[in-house]
Amino acid sequence: MNLPGYYEFCCRVKIIAGHDALEKIPDALAYLRARTPMIVSDKGVAGAGLIDIVTSAIKDGVTIGAVADDVTPDSDLQVVHRLARLYREKRCDSLIAVGGGSVMDTAKGVNILISENADDLMKFSGANALKRALKPLIAIPTTAGTGSEVTLVAVVKDHERHLKMAFVSYFLLPDVSVLDSRMTLSLPPAITAATGMDALAHAVEAYTCLAKNPLSDAHALAAINLIGENLVRVTRDPGDKNGRLAMANAATLAGIAFSNSMVGMVHTLGHSAGSVCGVPHGVCMAILLPYGLEYNMHKNGHLTAELLFPLGGAQVYAATPEGERADKVIALVRRINEDLHEASGGRHPRFFREVVDREGKQMVPREKLPEIAKTALSDGSLFYNPEDLDYDDFLMVMETSWEGEPLERRKIKKG
Amino acid sequence: MGTIREVKSGKKSLKKDYVAIMMWFMGRAIQAAASVDRDVRKEFAELPDRFTFDLCVMPDGPHMIVGKDRKGYVRYMGWDTEGKRTNLRIKIKNLEAAILMFTFQESTALATARNRLVVDGEVPHACAAVRILDIVEVYLLPKIIAKLAVKRYPLWSPGRKYIGRVFVYLRTVLGL
Amino acid sequence: MFSPDRYEFFCPVKTNSGSRALEHLPFELDTMNATKPFVITSQKDARRGLVDVIIDAFKDSGVTIGIFDGAPAAPGMKLIKELFTMYRDGGYDSLIAVGGGAVVDTAKILNIAVSGAPEDIERYAGSDLITKPLKPLVLVPTLSGTGYESSRYACIDTLSFSSCFLMPHLVVIDPRMIVFEDVETTAAASLVTLTHAVEVYTGPEKNPLSDSYAYAAIRFVMENLVSVIRDPRDGKGRLALVNAHNAAGCAFSNSTPGMAHRLGKAVGDACQLSWGLCMGILLPHILERQTSEDGYHIPGLLLPLAGFDVYAETPEHMKVQKAIGILYDFQRDLFEASRGAIVRSLKDAEVPEEMLRDIARKAAGRSSTGFDADVSLMVLEQAWKGK
Ligand SMILES: [Fe+2]
Repeated sequence: MNLPGYYEFCCRVKIIAGHDALEKIPDALAYLRARTPMIVSDKGVAGAGLIDIVTSAIKDGVTIGAVADDVTPDSDLQVVHRLARLYREKRCDSLIAVGGGSVMDTAKGVNILISENADDLMKFSGANALKRALKPLIAIPTTAGTGSEVTLVAVVKDHERHLKMAFVSYFLLPDVSVLDSRMTLSLPPAITAATGMDALAHAVEAYTCLAKNPLSDAHALAAINLIGENLVRVTRDPGDKNGRLAMANAATLAGIAFSNSMVGMVHTLGHSAGSVCGVPHGVCMAILLPYGLEYNMHKNGHLTAELLFPLGGAQVYAATPEGERADKVIALVRRINEDLHEASGGRHPRFFREVVDREGKQMVPREKLPEIAKTALSDGSLFYNPEDLDYDDFLMVMETSWEGEPLERRKIKKG
Repeated sequence: MGTIREVKSGKKSLKKDYVAIMMWFMGRAIQAAASVDRDVRKEFAELPDRFTFDLCVMPDGPHMIVGKDRKGYVRYMGWDTEGKRTNLRIKIKNLEAAILMFTFQESTALATARNRLVVDGEVPHACAAVRILDIVEVYLLPKIIAKLAVKRYPLWSPGRKYIGRVFVYLRTVLGL
Repeated sequence: MFSPDRYEFFCPVKTNSGSRALEHLPFELDTMNATKPFVITSQKDARRGLVDVIIDAFKDSGVTIGIFDGAPAAPGMKLIKELFTMYRDGGYDSLIAVGGGAVVDTAKILNIAVSGAPEDIERYAGSDLITKPLKPLVLVPTLSGTGYESSRYACIDTLSFSSCFLMPHLVVIDPRMIVFEDVETTAAASLVTLTHAVEVYTGPEKNPLSDSYAYAAIRFVMENLVSVIRDPRDGKGRLALVNAHNAAGCAFSNSTPGMAHRLGKAVGDACQLSWGLCMGILLPHILERQTSEDGYHIPGLLLPLAGFDVYAETPEHMKVQKAIGILYDFQRDLFEASRGAIVRSLKDAEVPEEMLRDIARKAAGRSSTGFDADVSLMVLEQAWKGK
């Protein structure tokens, strides 16, 4: 087991998982000395009937103070203020966030305002500006991918003043994350595929990038193994409850790994393709993951090779000679993308030129690639990538991943 | 039965002085490189007007403040934070972490990976600042040490590397 | 991979490990809103210069620390009350325990008092009775630990405590503090660690979260214990072992103690032997027994014990045998590396054979989840003879 010269690791979130985990929420709240939660969610989640499942699972044990199911896709400062007012009006004493990243971010923002009894969120932005525990927050993820149920970061946007506020503090971690298979059973195949690949990217980058450490490695290995065994299966068979729970576990394990070890260039480029062209994050991860591994190969090929064990299984690992394992991992990731493409009826894209929006319009026109490469230079995840990338390198990776060609190894500058 | 003994925090003057001198040198070198190297110039050009950043050691210094003056020239602005507004602050968590960095045992990337730095300010600005520091280190340090300090040692033309290095050194020492 | 139908997991511990880890303490205390820590350590560790390292780490931070370096091997309530007064009168707001064993018990229990009142201690003795987070507690471990430092357990006099709130908020593992201990102490804590981690990894409460901590702990012990016993100068190995102690403490806090743990403690208490030594002897015998019982996950244990390659090369039906074989080999290697100090059977540990029946009965009586006296006796008899 690799022991780096220095590392830090922490995940203070209590995990409650199972096919009937939601029913444990009243006890969890009682343990946190709360009994009147406000539920925070969005229209999509509510529309899928998930809020009903949550409320009927907990209503006998607690008083639901308020349900706010209109969080906007981009966590918005106005919404945060409105929800904080609602929370105070209804005299709630805790928060239950049901949803994906923006719901979690919004709930965390609300929690700062109500716990600090503040009106100005800005005062608490930045690293470690919070100094004490906030109100109880329970997170219920409704996709298996982002890992935001175990991260200590929140981003809230002030759309009026065009500001983006970031908050980083251990006090922002949810007190409890509840992983229940019922929350992802109705997830469509394409979203299952994309979010699952996001989780895989988290685990793989955590394991192969610069801030890796033994504890996050162990979490990453477990996550990769669960994803290798279950992602294609649940995409093919969405009603597979055990597969769903396994993927929820995997996403949380990967979330813990990457919130401690951070991510690299797959996320660097993924973030910018997301912000320039609006491509869903998971789709970017699926497309870029093999390229990130190829690009960094001369620096971390030995680590990539180790991933063949959890991803391909013991037999594939044993049957592949040591020197070919890293390439085999990359080939496997591409195979998984192909399988997901097929399992989702062609809706899971394999390269950027295949990405289309709801109207079938191409989302990433070739002429946007330079802008994506430029934007990538401003993303902090690059710090954790084993090899450096300048504008030309980013552009090269974007061009090949747009076409769906493998990266030409000799074109990678090695310094 | 034992008693309690209260120990006030001592000082590490020698180490602090060393870091202060290295930061002074680095600050002047950034100013010099901004007029000699096109990439450094470009990085600064893309930062906002009057952009100022502070590289410092927690809890109270030393500091290295570098920024663009009213006319857009890059200036080393000393170690005194008094009365200076900074857009970006890169804080090294403690003096020992600064020693590891300024004795080139830990690169900026490694220090980041090891969670020894705290960034106050916008991430894109921090990315630019780190790129600037990397280029300046390539000018200042012999290849064998600079290779430890940056992720990928750049393939510069001999002109840029050797002539540039002479100019950066001259200007750093002379404070031009 | 095994994914259970339901589980819960919680670990409040933050781990900082590696070079200059101690110098991060002022920063970390600030994030916990603490400004004046109270350091507790033993005379032995103070004499070894470990307190000086702590003092040095706080230089240039502006943080004033209080140091109590007289924690005895068997602390009592009287000491806790005196420490409480010192803490209160000095205006401290957090605790730093430097060392292992009794020092850490003292700090954990003192934390109950300083987070409320000294009377709370008796009130909270027992399992899960503490209801709210305590003051920030930092653990700076050494190799003199028992393997319980990061866990939810603490005891003093006749009182014992179990609560996740007792776990340290931060564990700072700094190579300068991990100086060599005698072979017996080092082996004991690491064998407690191995036993705990293996029982979490194979036990009925197995889940992917506690598995992750257990996996890291088992790998670290298997890769480093023999080499540290053989060559105490192996600094990296020592550091890895303390990392293992910490990870296993976290995993162990999330499951019901297993049979090797209980039986090992019973033998140790009955015969004044170290728990770790007894657990280490018993572990493979108990696993052998559990392979035929429902609810245990023995084949997968081969992975953390031996790594990817051996696991992948071993056919499915051979995995249990191989895993247990590796544990017996490990006992032999430790025996040889320690020149016979770490024995492989209860007989060599000088446990009188006629005591086994009594120990088995007592251990079975103590346990809440059933293993009966007959099974315990069988295992004890096997472990008495050794492999
Ligand atoms: Fe992601």
